[in-house]
Amino acid sequence: MTHPDRTEPELVSEAGELVRPYVITRGRDLLDEGAFALITLVTTSTDDQQRPQRLSPEEQQILEMCSSGYLSVAEIAAHSQLPLGVVKVLLSSLAEGGYLVTRAPVPSARLANKALLQEVLDGLKALSV
Amino acid sequence: MTILQDPTVWALAAGVPVATMVVVRQRKTAESLRRQKRGLESELTALQGSHADLQTTIAELRRGYDEVVRQAKEEAENATNTVLKSAMQTLQGLAAEQQRAISGLQKKYGDSAVLRDLLDVDHMNSQFNRRAQSIAVLCGGWLGRQRDAASIYDVIRAAQGRIRHYQRIDIASRVDIAVTSRAVEPVALTVAELLDNATSYSAPSSMVDVEVRTVPKGMCIVIDDAGVGMSEEEKTAATALLSSGSAVSVSELGNPPAFGFAVIGALCARFGFTVTIDSTSPYGGVRAVVMVPKELLTDMPEPARPAATQGANAGTGDSGSAPATTAGDLPRRQNKRRAMALVPDNQPEEATAPPARSAEARVAAMGAFQRGTLSGRSAGVPAAERDTPADTHEGFDAP
Repeated sequence: MTHPDRTEPELVSEAGELVRPYVITRGRDLLDEGAFALITLVTTSTDDQQRPQRLSPEEQQILEMCSSGYLSVAEIAAHSQLPLGVVKVLLSSLAEGGYLVTRAPVPSARLANKALLQEVLDGLKALSV
Repeated sequence: MTILQDPTVWALAAGVPVATMVVVRQRKTAESLRRQKRGLESELTALQGSHADLQTTIAELRRGYDEVVRQAKEEAENATNTVLKSAMQTLQGLAAEQQRAISGLQKKYGDSAVLRDLLDVDHMNSQFNRRAQSIAVLCGGWLGRQRDAASIYDVIRAAQGRIRHYQRIDIASRVDIAVTSRAVEPVALTVAELLDNATSYSAPSSMVDVEVRTVPKGMCIVIDDAGVGMSEEEKTAATALLSSGSAVSVSELGNPPAFGFAVIGALCARFGFTVTIDSTSPYGGVRAVVMVPKELLTDMPEPARPAATQGANAGTGDSGSAPATTAGDLPRRQNKRRAMALVPDNQPEEATAPPARSAEARVAAMGAFQRGTLSGRSAGVPAAERDTPADTHEGFDAP
């Protein structure tokens, strides 16, 4: 009989994450799409001293991550090694708790009207002639 | 009348020999009977002796039979255990593989609606793996994974993820203690079995409280449910299972098999922690206490330092004040993750602040720009038109 404590070398690397993502969200439902965009910027609203102890390690980690400036949702997901949807759930609960403030992404510039551009060009040409 | 004529005399004369004969014959009969009796008695003694001999032989045979049966049973059990153990090992390996696949999918489809289903599949896979682990433990098998040392909070959450009603678990306290890598899986499996019992034998709407307390001997995980509790007989049976070590065999679990306490008992005996379930919870249900001794505890592993906090000194590549070794004189692991990009807090101010450049330098730069523009235009435009659009670069001449 093999010794029970022996570890199987070929399987050691298979050890997955100890705490699974659905436990991290505590079974809370995922957010609807569009609640947080990938490029929404997030930062902390409170000091470290005011941080409550009841937060999960992952929430603490996110707060600490954002404490020195704005980070995008995509970056937080990449650093925390968590699925994006799970990060969004955590961010939303932190924002609800007032620990985080979010800044909507800068709207992309609207495409200029082609007719207007043509008119300006014509005007310039008229000037220079 | 003479004496010869007396009929009595004749009667006597005839009677005496007859009587004598009778007496003699009776004596002979008695003698033979006595002899017979003696013979029978000696035979009886002999028979009794052989009977005793036979009984010892029977006892010996019975002992031999019992021994053979026990051996056969043991062999059969060993064979069953070996088969089950290797079967469970395969299943555990598959479950681990599946979990990695699910993890990959969760990251890949993190932003889509599929994630919700992936989390459900992940939950089912964890429960499946726990069952396989339990059977493997009862067969004296291997728990499946060697983990890094993990905080007790994470170990309890790992256990929480392996039961069906994980949303009903409330972990109240956070203690900064970690479980050694060897004990992570056994403690997680034990807590999972206890949480499974707690949620199964209490109302679907009730919560199960988990609390961690440090005690002089180590640390206690206290699990309180608001269920119906256990009767004295149930408590006795459970305590017997908990203290039985690995003596319970798979074939004794009944149908449907009651794994929980047998698994916990085997784990306790193997890894040296204890579980008691003989007290009542404040809510009237069962209070289960897992006592993890100091030998299985260690310092908290270095928390994964969030990248952004190191943004300030990321350039130096040094995490600053963190000591290089742990309390146990082991090298402290350095977190290699760094922020990829940071948007500074005071970005708007920086954007409006002019670059620190002297007026002369600015003039020189603008002049160079103007010269470049002019030379470029003179190359492409006919000479007659060269000087006409003077107003286009008028602004650059200031100050």
